[in-house]
Formats: sequence, structure tokens, C-alpha cells
Amino acid sequence: MIKPMNRLLTGCSEMEMSERCRQPALCLRLAAFFPALWGRVFCGLLTLMSVGVADASPAPIQTQFSDTQVLVSLPNLASPALAPSQTEDQLATKVRDFLQQARSEGDPRYLGYAQRALERWPETQMTDRLRVLRATLWQSLHRFDEARADLAQVLATGNVNANTIQATLTLANLELVQGHYEAARRACGQLQQHYPGLLALNCQAQVSARTGQALEAYDSLTAAKDNASRLSATDRSWTEGTLGDLAAQLGRPEAELHWRRTLRIAPDDLYVRAQLADWLINQQRFEETLALTEGYEAVDSLAVLRAIALNRAGHDHADDLTMRLRERFAEARWRGNLLHQRDYARFLLDVEGEVSDALTFARQNWQAQREPMDTRLLLRAARANDDNDLLRVTRQWLAQANQQDARFSEDTRP
Amino acid sequence: MTRCSLLWVVLVALIGAPHAWAHKASDSFIYVDQSEPDRQTVRIDVALRDLALVVNLDADRNRDVTGAELQAARPAITQYIDQRLTARNGAGRCRLIGQQWGLSSHSDGPYAAGAYRMDCPDGEPAQQLQYDLLFDIDPLHRGLVQLTGTEGESLAVMGPDARRLDLAAPQVSALATFGTFVYEGVFHLLIGLDHILFLLVLVLPATFGHTHAPTASQPSANGNLRSALLELIGIVTAFTVAHSMTLALAVLDIVQLPVAWVEMVIALSIAIAALNVFWPVLGKKTWKLAFGFGLIHGFGFASVLGDLTSGLSQTVVALAGFNIGVELGQLALLLVCFPILFLLGKHPLYARAAVPAMVLVVSCVSLYWAVERAGAL
Repeated sequence: MIKPMNRLLTGCSEMEMSERCRQPALCLRLAAFFPALWGRVFCGLLTLMSVGVADASPAPIQTQFSDTQVLVSLPNLASPALAPSQTEDQLATKVRDFLQQARSEGDPRYLGYAQRALERWPETQMTDRLRVLRATLWQSLHRFDEARADLAQVLATGNVNANTIQATLTLANLELVQGHYEAARRACGQLQQHYPGLLALNCQAQVSARTGQALEAYDSLTAAKDNASRLSATDRSWTEGTLGDLAAQLGRPEAELHWRRTLRIAPDDLYVRAQLADWLINQQRFEETLALTEGYEAVDSLAVLRAIALNRAGHDHADDLTMRLRERFAEARWRGNLLHQRDYARFLLDVEGEVSDALTFARQNWQAQREPMDTRLLLRAARANDDNDLLRVTRQWLAQANQQDARFSEDTRP
Repeated sequence: MTRCSLLWVVLVALIGAPHAWAHKASDSFIYVDQSEPDRQTVRIDVALRDLALVVNLDADRNRDVTGAELQAARPAITQYIDQRLTARNGAGRCRLIGQQWGLSSHSDGPYAAGAYRMDCPDGEPAQQLQYDLLFDIDPLHRGLVQLTGTEGESLAVMGPDARRLDLAAPQVSALATFGTFVYEGVFHLLIGLDHILFLLVLVLPATFGHTHAPTASQPSANGNLRSALLELIGIVTAFTVAHSMTLALAVLDIVQLPVAWVEMVIALSIAIAALNVFWPVLGKKTWKLAFGFGLIHGFGFASVLGDLTSGLSQTVVALAGFNIGVELGQLALLLVCFPILFLLGKHPLYARAAVPAMVLVVSCVSLYWAVERAGAL
């Protein structure tokens, strides 16, 4: 899962961080919520059997519908948004808005519009601001190498400005998500140097927590929050999100409190909502999980957690959501290897009980992302399959990083 | 999310899907059905939400697409799809003839669906699909294709860098088809016992009629052989010309006879030809007999060839190959058997005992077949 760190101001061209800039904060949690997205264009014939799309037969065509029925409500997408951009500023604003919409609604179509907008802009006229935005897009599409290349180009200038700071933050986030903690620590250090403040402290706390110092990180970030004289809503929701993650890692019940504070300020923070839903499920608080995920069935990660809660609680309409998720994942698999593998692995493991396939997808997911949620999923899937080799390798990796997590402490016991 | 919930309430009545739609990347669904060569179809489902980006679906600009607005936009939608979804084969672009139009649904909401019959210039199946919808708006858009052919189903994905898709298996060259059917012709002649027996009884008179020549001297033996060969060639040619004619008529669908009757008449023809060796009720000119019954044997070959060519576009090539195969099989058989029979024919016992025995056996077998096949009518 992409962590709640990168909420800066992509799109602001000046160092001064106005409230206007902070509000449309770009969060790199994007990718976590998109099914079926990363990867390139590909084409190949796949046999039905090899992709396991159970039923690809089309629904019948409905020829009768009344004139007055509203068939669909269109998203608020002004047609100029899809037209070529005239200026760099126009393009940057447009791309940022698309990325923001994709994040807050969990709707990957906006990533496509963002990609198209950037593609139309001549490569020779790329600016640092656009590269940072493009890196954010690539990261959401799990095209990590391309994201790194764009960020490296921005950072190679050696300047210090809003763009390089945003690039540093994006890079720190990317490295953290992929489990490259030394690289993440370096980036957080640079951030602290060029843009000291709560932002950099969040960054460092996340890295420290994943490398053996969760308790210290939690305490120092709490102190920093308490000592800050004036906190913007964004800073607050963000810091509470990080504190929630750290508390959960430590197995502390305060995690829920922190996350709920974040959601009060930013209800569309899908990452935190998913973290909290997962936390509640682990505590068998299924009705609360259902309340938290109500109305979020369109978002894969939350829909899967909701389906788990419905099934565990023995609800009547559990099957209905399960069937819809099945259709959704079948379509995503048909689409190809773009599938959001974490959600699918979780669905296979905890709803379908297909542990072997769950392990396949949990493994592939772990190659791309190594957040605690991903590691825990891998460990659980490996255990369900009695795959001791994989358990050993994963534990070795955790030991090497000195990462402890109360959420999978029993799975890491040799 | 509010919008989703709202949408959901409205859609319950329409599509009967009581839930909020998923958010997913943009996909179209394309179903190509070529399982029946005479009637190949393609259906395409495009999300209304995606169509709204390229066609004006919301005339009153209130962001709600009503049934009336969709109907009004139908010509524009059809035109957009027509321009950007094309099927073709070697003869050119295939026409898409609208069959059905309406709504369908997938996991992320309502789709406009159009089903078309594909009509290619030469009446043959489409070989390539080109898909250019929406990529200029959304490079993450994909066309998800399901192909249903005579050999089952397969899936494919079309993207900005993969806009073309080969539908049919790579076209087999005419030469390869020809070769295959020459082999099939030889094979079916050699395993078809009734045709072999028929040939045997046709050539029998030519093998022993000459043993009563006045002298057994060398030149006269050559003369006997020559006249025997001439007679043989006449018989085989007549048989070949006759069955080639009817084979072509049947395979090209000009004349159709019921297979069971044909099979029974073929069995009877063998019996009659066998009896005709000793009791020439149908005359002594064996070539006429060969020609007459050859006509019905042609329909017999046709039933075999018809099974092999179903779904094949190169029927004429196949027909020619198969026919030549049958002739080659015949020729090979005669090259091996005729010299043996001819030499045996010099023995007095041959005409007196062996030939009657063969005629008797062949008559019995073929009459048995005739009765059996008549029972199956």
C-alpha cells in the first residue's frame, strides 16, 4: 500500500506553500486503490483456461428502455479537460486534478486521462513540475522504474525548489513502499534538510518504524505533533494517519483513534479507511467494518474488506457482493496482468478460500510493494499453503530490515 | 460516492443490478463469433461513461443520460463505432450489418451494446479486427475480445499498441490444402472397400477374356496385353470421368442426393457389376457400366469430402486435390493388382474357378451391404 506521506503540493511552482497549494495535495496512495492498472500495453491471445476467466459470455442486450429513465450519471468532467493543453501551467493543473480525482474516488479512469494529457505534451518541453506529476502517475500505475527515472532527472538539477522537494518526497515514498529503506531514509534526510517540518518528520518516522524503531518513531512524531504551534488540516490528518500506522504496527489500540481523526478531516482518504477496516476485521468487529465501508463498494480494496466482514458476520447479502467482486476480478484478469494483485489475493484467501491462487498473487504483489499489509498477506498465504521456504525467506527479509509488526508477529515466529 | 449511490437507485429498475458500480479502468467488450462460417457476428459493448467522452450523450447538459438522450445519440454512436471498429479479410473490408442495439451492463455500469453481422466481400470469414476506440482519450482503455471459433473460445486484449487482432488461424496456403486433399483422396480410396471391389469386378473381364487367344506365342501375348490394357484404360477412364462429374456437382452443392440411398445403390452396383461378368445383363461394354455406376460412386466420394471441407474456404482446391488423390489411388491399385491378375489369367483354372469364386464372394458381400444399408434408410 502506498503510504500516507506524499501529500505535498505538486503543482505549486513557488516555494511558498499557500493553502491553495496544500489543499489539492497529491497523495501517492493512488495505486493501492486501482484494480488492474500497472503494466504496459500488451496483447496476446490467452486461452480461457489459462486466465481462469470462468464465464465470459455476455449479458443479453436489453432493447427496451424508457425515454425518461436516467441510465447513468456522468462524472463532472468538463470537455476542455480532455482537449490538448495550451500552456504548461494549464497542463500541470489538469494532470494534478486528474490524479487527485483518481485518488479521492478510487477511479482509475482519471489516470488514463492524465496519461493522455501528458502524452500530448512534447517531450522536449517537459518541465520538472510535469516530470514530478508524471512520476506520480507512473507510481500509481506501478511503473516504478519509469517513476524513478523521471524523479532522478528532476533531482539531478541540484536545485532546491518546490519541484525538487516534491520529487524527494515522492521518491522517499516510492522507496519506502518497495521496501528499500536505506534509499527511503536518504530521501527523508534530504527532505528534512531542504524542507524541515512535520512533512519530513512523518517521512522519517515511517522509515524508522519499519527498521526497528517503531516505538521511538511513534513517540517522537506524537511529540512533534503536540509541539507544533499551528497545524493545517492537511498536516493534522496526515500525521494522524502516520501515527495510526505506527500504533497498529506496535499493536496499540490507539491506532483506531488516530485513523478516525484522519477520516474526520479527510473522509475520502481511502488508504486510511482501508487500514482501519482491516484493523476492525482483525478484532472481529464486523458491524463496525460494514459501517466504515458502507458506500465504498466501488473501490476494490474496501469492497474486498467489506465482503470479508459480510461473510464473517454471516450476512444475507454477503453472496451478492462476493459475486460482484468475482465478476470484477474476472474482467480485470481478462484485461491482463494489470490486476491489482493485493486485493485479489486477499479476496482469494479470505473470501474464496483458494489459498494456492492467493499465494500466487500475494507473491507477485510483494515483488512490487512491501508495505506491512503486503508482507502480512504474503505470510498468511504462505502459511495457508505450508510454504515453509517462502516463510523463511520472508522472515529473513524482515529480520534484515529489523522490521517487527504486531499484526504479523505470530507469522514471523520461526 | 454520493453520485454512485444515486446512480445505483436509478439503475435498479433498469438493469436489475442492486448495487453501486465498481470503479475500474475503461474497457470495451467485443465478442466475435465465427463458429458458423455462414453467419459470423461481432458484438461490442462500450461504457456509456466512455461514450459520453466522444459522443454527445447529454444533450441537456445536466450530467444525467436518459433513455431518450441515448436513443437520440444512437446514430452518432453507431457512426463512431463504424469508423473505429473494422473487420477485414483478403478481399477487403467487411460490412457490419446491425442486428440488435440496446443496453447491457458490466461490473462498472451500463454499456451501449451493438450486435452486427459481418459481411465480407467474398463471403468468407473476417481475418482481422482493427479497433481504434477511445485510445485518443484514454491510453489505459482496452478492448477485451472474446473469439468464438469452430474450435472453441479464446480471449484477447487490444490496446493502443495492439490495435489489430488476427481472428482466423493463419490462412492455409492453397498448395497445402491441395496436398492435404490429394492424400485424403488416396487414403479414402484405399480404405473404401466398396470402391475397390467395384474396380475389381470391372477389370476382371479384361484379365481373362484374352486367355482364349489362339496362340501363346510372345508377339501374340503382347497383343493380348495391349488389348487388355486398352480395355482397362477405357474402363478406368469412364469410371473416373463419371465419378469426377458427380463428385464436383455434389461438393459444389449443385446436386444433392441422400447419403444413405447413395450408399445402398453403390452396394447394389457392385453386385450387379459382379453378376454382369457372367450374365451380361447390362451388356458386354464394361466401360458403359463403369461410367453409369461411376456417377453414383461420385456421390459416395462427395459425402466423405463434404465432411472434410466443412468450414474450409478453398473448396475447389480441395475438390481437385481429392479427385486427383482418388485417381492416384486407383492407378496405384491397378498397377499392383492388374499384372498379377493378368498373369493368373493365363492359368486355365483362373477363368474357370478363381473368377467365379471372386464374383461369388463380391456379389455376396455387396448384396449383404445393400441389405444392411437398405435397413438403415
